[in-house]
Amino acid sequence: MGLLNAIGLLNPGALYFLAIVPALILAYLARERPRQATVSSVLAFRALHVMRGQRFGGRPRFTWTFFLELLALCLAVLAMAGPYLLKKGTPIAVVIDNSAAMQALTPAGKTRFDEAIAATNDALDRAGGGQVTVYLTAPQPHQLSGVIGGIGEAREAIARTKAVDAPDDPAALATLLGQLASDSHLGRIIFASYRSIAAPVPGRVVPIVVGQPIANYAIGSFALTRETFGAAALHARVTVANFSPSAQALTVTIAGDGKPIGTAQATVAPNAVAALEFPRLAPATIYRAQLDPSDGFTLDNTAYATGSAVKSVAVLFVSPTPADGASLRSIPGVSVATRAPNAYSPKDLANFDLAIFEYTVPKELPTVNALLVMPPPGDPVFKFTALSAPRVEVAGWPTTDPLTDAVNFRLLNFREGEYLGQHPWMRAVVAGNSGGLMLSGSRQGHRFVAAGFNPFPYLGRENLPMSILTLNVLGSLAGFGARTSGYRTGEPWMVPAGVTAIVLPSGHRESAQAGSLFSSVESQGLYELIGANGQQTPRAVNLADLTVSDLTNNPPISVPAVAAGAMPASSTVRAPLAAYVLAAIIVLIVFESLLVYRRRRTIEVSP
Amino acid sequence: MLGLPEEFTPEFIARLDQLRIKTRREFAGLGKGTHLSPRRGSSLEFSDFRHYSDGDDFRYIDWGLYGRTDKLYIKLFKEEEDLLTYIFIDASASMGFPARDRKFESAVATALAIAYVALASGDRVMIRVIAGRGTPPPPAFVYGRHRIVELGRSLTAIRPGGEVDLAPALAREMVSIRRAGKVFLISDFMMLPNVATRGLGLFTAANMDVTAVQILGATELDGQGLNGDVEVVDAESGERVRVSIGQRERDRYRETLLRLAREIKVFCFRNGLHYTLYTTGVDFHDFFLRAVADLGLVH
Repeated sequence: MGLLNAIGLLNPGALYFLAIVPALILAYLARERPRQATVSSVLAFRALHVMRGQRFGGRPRFTWTFFLELLALCLAVLAMAGPYLLKKGTPIAVVIDNSAAMQALTPAGKTRFDEAIAATNDALDRAGGGQVTVYLTAPQPHQLSGVIGGIGEAREAIARTKAVDAPDDPAALATLLGQLASDSHLGRIIFASYRSIAAPVPGRVVPIVVGQPIANYAIGSFALTRETFGAAALHARVTVANFSPSAQALTVTIAGDGKPIGTAQATVAPNAVAALEFPRLAPATIYRAQLDPSDGFTLDNTAYATGSAVKSVAVLFVSPTPADGASLRSIPGVSVATRAPNAYSPKDLANFDLAIFEYTVPKELPTVNALLVMPPPGDPVFKFTALSAPRVEVAGWPTTDPLTDAVNFRLLNFREGEYLGQHPWMRAVVAGNSGGLMLSGSRQGHRFVAAGFNPFPYLGRENLPMSILTLNVLGSLAGFGARTSGYRTGEPWMVPAGVTAIVLPSGHRESAQAGSLFSSVESQGLYELIGANGQQTPRAVNLADLTVSDLTNNPPISVPAVAAGAMPASSTVRAPLAAYVLAAIIVLIVFESLLVYRRRRTIEVSP
Repeated sequence: MLGLPEEFTPEFIARLDQLRIKTRREFAGLGKGTHLSPRRGSSLEFSDFRHYSDGDDFRYIDWGLYGRTDKLYIKLFKEEEDLLTYIFIDASASMGFPARDRKFESAVATALAIAYVALASGDRVMIRVIAGRGTPPPPAFVYGRHRIVELGRSLTAIRPGGEVDLAPALAREMVSIRRAGKVFLISDFMMLPNVATRGLGLFTAANMDVTAVQILGATELDGQGLNGDVEVVDAESGERVRVSIGQRERDRYRETLLRLAREIKVFCFRNGLHYTLYTTGVDFHDFFLRAVADLGLVH
């Protein structure tokens, strides 16, 4: 704690208002005192009006309440003046790494995070007094509850923090450290992490490195895919890594809804990654992958996945020719509802996984992924430009894009269509001679594909290339193949349509708004997405970051070079007192109110 | 004159000689007098018949009744006795304020005038002073009109003072009163109406014939002569009230006092008590002689 040296005022001019105080006192002293008169009885006087001096606008009473109110007035003027305490001390910034890697155990049996807190507390004690600002690093560097008054409060605040399951952002962390190091007001920056700071370490930065490189076996990703769109069986792919100096046989056991349904093993070379395949997993709601042997970092020995992809895909087909959409019902696991364009309402999307707009576009951006087939040009939402052609020809397509995977466009015979012009936020996936034939892009967390040709009706094997293209598009829009590694801790995701609340793995329930970004994703595990009708959909969120899991290789953080300033021995800090003064005013007013109320009650009760 | 208040002029006394006290019921007295008594006696007022028995005076046999019934009946007559008159004077501090109204002096004059009427009629009078400073008259009946001088000297030497709670004070006085009679209570009744009525109710409960005389000052009715910001102090309780008094406040004050007086008056009428209000601004002689009936007196 710094020593109290002086009291200052931010707005000393406000003290001129104190001139009203002697004026008030003079008014009280100069006023005419009421004369006393003995009367036979005051019985009938009680019914009269109170004295003018006691009425509003009259002369105030010369009683103790006057002095109480005078004191409150003085305090109010003082509060206007903005009083503050001048404290001497060295402002300190504490940056604590609370990323997932800090959960690793040290040889002492404690986590890196616990050791970091203990070491930070020791460093704070050695640093002496001053204001403390605490920062945490994960999932993004952020300040913890403003500026903290002193060491004691800082220790309490730090003790309430905990390590999260999310990795940190090294670049953002380096930027934060650079900013703090360049702040000349800070006397010391304590940085506690499992990573060191690359030389040259800025002068005021005090790095605290906890833990040592340890061997670790990790699950990198746990992805469920469907072999084909609409098939019931799932294909699981688990990547495992061996971050140890020797080869290790790693076994992954997958449990579906709590029952073991698959086991695979691979011997993984040092610092190598292997993939374990589980080709035909029985359908289940929740899948949990467990890695053996376990190690000192248990977070990445477990991964979760959900089987919600097995559920049928609900498609809303908006078209003046609804028969085209009805043809999609022949795809296994796909349910289709059709709407005429004039009967379509954006609220209809709440019950569908994706939407298809044929020869039309919605008047506002859909809240689900959508396919736009031959959209009319010039709409205000997508602002497509199109060039109609009696026959369109494909000029090129990428073979690695999931939309065009396994599609032989040469076999496609497009009849009439339109070339789509350059779009502000969609890119051309399939290019034609005079423009794009298929555009793809995402907006507000949703994917949109626009086709300059009509792939409908769906004919199945009768038109295999077009059917493959259709399935690729629908698979991509329905989420298949797009998120092979699932959701990761620390990465916010868009709240799906119809979801009103989300239950975190800790059991805490948070309300959610469809279409908004959900950022409480610091924990690995299963999140329950709760719809308006109470329907629950699990969503798996995993660490899935082998960079974090590599505990043998802790690359130092490079802090941007800053101008080396002299470390301030101490600095003066202003601690504002206005809040305390206002609190004192409130206490005075409450005190006076209670006394006046009590006095009035006494008068009313007496006969 | 002879220690009596200045109101006792020869003309006034002559007028008082023509008055006597009238009661609404018959009370037993201590000696022969002019008021009918519940006792049987030898007055001309018929009371009842009873069967003749040996030794009865033949003169009182009702011969007419004997002719009709063939039985002998003796006529009984009421006795006429003197009236026991009790006069209570409130001498609490409130009777001394406002001083210019001379409320207590008016109360004393009223009490002495009533006492003179009673003594002149051959009745017995006991005057009791509630609170006050000085030596009150002894708690005994006086008889004979000459005793008015003694009562006058005794009462005029008393000064108002002290705090009085009327009902308990009267209850204490009632302990020493053995016989029922006519009661005059003279006070300003500057108290809550229920306190005053509780005190008056003590007399009615004791089968007394009561006359309440309320004395209010002319200045007192006019806001006690106060104006502007005043801290008024109750003469008895010492309670303080800060008020700003103007014409409107004076009017409200007068209305309140008169309303309190009206409540006492209504109580008296409902319970068969005499009530009269004397405002000191009015000539005492006029008041007394005009309020003869209200005072329970008769020519």
